[in-house]
Amino acid sequence: MMLRVMRILRKRTEVGVAVITLVLIVGFTVTSQGIWLSAGNMREVLRVTSILAIIAFGEALVIAAGEIDISVGSTFGIVGIIYIAIGPQIGTPLAIVIALGAALIIGSLNGFVVAYYRVSSLVVTLGSLFVFRGLALAATQTASHYNAGATMRANAIYRLFGASGVLGYNNALVWALVILLILQYVLFWTPIGNWLLAVGGNAESARSRGVSVMRTKWGAFIACAFLAGLAGILEAGDLGYADGSLGRQRELQAIAAAVLGGTALIGGRTSPVGTFLGAFVLSGISSYLVIKGMNPQWFILLLGLIVVLVSLADHGLTRLVSKAATSRSV
Amino acid sequence: MSEPRNALIEMKNIDLNFGTVKALSDVSVDFSEGELVGLVGDNGAGKTTLIRILSGMYAPTSGEVYFDGRRITRFHPKLAIDLGIETIQQTVGLCDNLSVARNYYLGREPVKRVLGIVPVLDFTQMRAASKKVVHNFGLRDSVDVDDEAALLSGGEAQSFKIGRAVDFRNRVIIMDEPTNHLSVRERAHVNDLALQLRDQGLLVIYITHDIFQVHRLADRIVILENGRKIVDAPKEAVSAESLEQIIRDGSREINEG
Repeated sequence: MMLRVMRILRKRTEVGVAVITLVLIVGFTVTSQGIWLSAGNMREVLRVTSILAIIAFGEALVIAAGEIDISVGSTFGIVGIIYIAIGPQIGTPLAIVIALGAALIIGSLNGFVVAYYRVSSLVVTLGSLFVFRGLALAATQTASHYNAGATMRANAIYRLFGASGVLGYNNALVWALVILLILQYVLFWTPIGNWLLAVGGNAESARSRGVSVMRTKWGAFIACAFLAGLAGILEAGDLGYADGSLGRQRELQAIAAAVLGGTALIGGRTSPVGTFLGAFVLSGISSYLVIKGMNPQWFILLLGLIVVLVSLADHGLTRLVSKAATSRSV
Repeated sequence: MSEPRNALIEMKNIDLNFGTVKALSDVSVDFSEGELVGLVGDNGAGKTTLIRILSGMYAPTSGEVYFDGRRITRFHPKLAIDLGIETIQQTVGLCDNLSVARNYYLGREPVKRVLGIVPVLDFTQMRAASKKVVHNFGLRDSVDVDDEAALLSGGEAQSFKIGRAVDFRNRVIIMDEPTNHLSVRERAHVNDLALQLRDQGLLVIYITHDIFQVHRLADRIVILENGRKIVDAPKEAVSAESLEQIIRDGSREINEG
């Protein structure tokens, strides 16, 4: 019976974060006299959740493939800046294409260096983190920030990307949910998902079956940067402006959301649903701290604790399951 | 044991260098279908290097490789798989984090189209095929093909990989130290499977450093020493004891040299 429960926890990695989510919803609602769960607050929490979830979806793909991308915050920032900086001159649709094209180039570079030259992804993406943050700061040095302007804001396509709502909720939520469904399908229902999880679980075994480890990892980095860029566009679209600090430290939150959602840091396991819930928990905690008038700096500390505790819990659970399973088979 | 016939695999004058290290020097060897060949040698003798050429992981520095009479010029794991060459290694071949059924078709997953357009993994076929192998190759009946492969025992994992190789109609099964870390009963089971594959007409190359174990199984023994082939003989021609002596002498020569 215990074994069955533990096996379900391992197979359905999002169960853990789902329980945490429920506990926090009840706890935060009660201790904030309902303010936290109020429609007004939820609109903001879900907007932040959705944008964070979209970055974290991509991050989770890279982590599931056995690598890590710590440059997503900078990719998010530079893509958002490109979008707002060139949009007023060349029009929103072309600006989106160019901004997302930049994201694809960043992801291709990261992925190529990691997969082809087998350089540690931590080192490669640390480099990109600085390069693209540096570019973002340099690009906003004279103007301090770019403004979308009235014409761009009035554009229908501009409004589709994070600058209007559905039933009162920012449409980033729709983007996040659509991407969630696509990823759930690709990861668990197609060969590509099977390859990604195999490469992250045991690259040598995957290669021995004819799976291209290089192409799989490369693809994960490209998808990751694309999603980080899309999230940057949604955020910049919501704000209507972009400055050099756009997306700063967002990589930490993305990693935390992915890990909290059941993505194994050693690779081979992830859950888009869990990642979304992980992003919701983080945004919910952040909002709760604000409501309670606590110093928001505590949030960073909490992020760190969450990553460590979740990893420890996951490690313990893995050991318990394999122990229980082997003792049964003897 | 078997009549002379055209070899399925011919390796001619193979050299393989890693930088300045000569891993293989002028190795020529043939392998035929329906034959169980014991490939023996001490650690570092070049056994694994030789079969990694056959499994497409290394390309020889010089020399020629023929498969079924055709010269092989490109070496890639995918090509070896397409030719029907499967290498069974203890630590490689199954991803512990994936279910048994997902492991089964890894790299060549069956896909069906939902509503005629959306491609989706054919889970029915994946489960059915892996269940068949679980049943036919001596795994516990309680093994659930939806469980992670991590839950298989060492012998079950080996048997499953062998079963998968047979089911994919491979022509060559290379077993690299297939019985290390296995219990006595599991070892006997894996060795039985090797003989069954040979009897079905497959070429089985059995790599080990245990000359006594492989002498009981093999039709022919090939011994590598320091990257060179030093013995290639039908097993009737040589006793296990004399072969062991050859391996030991070979090592002594090198130590003294």
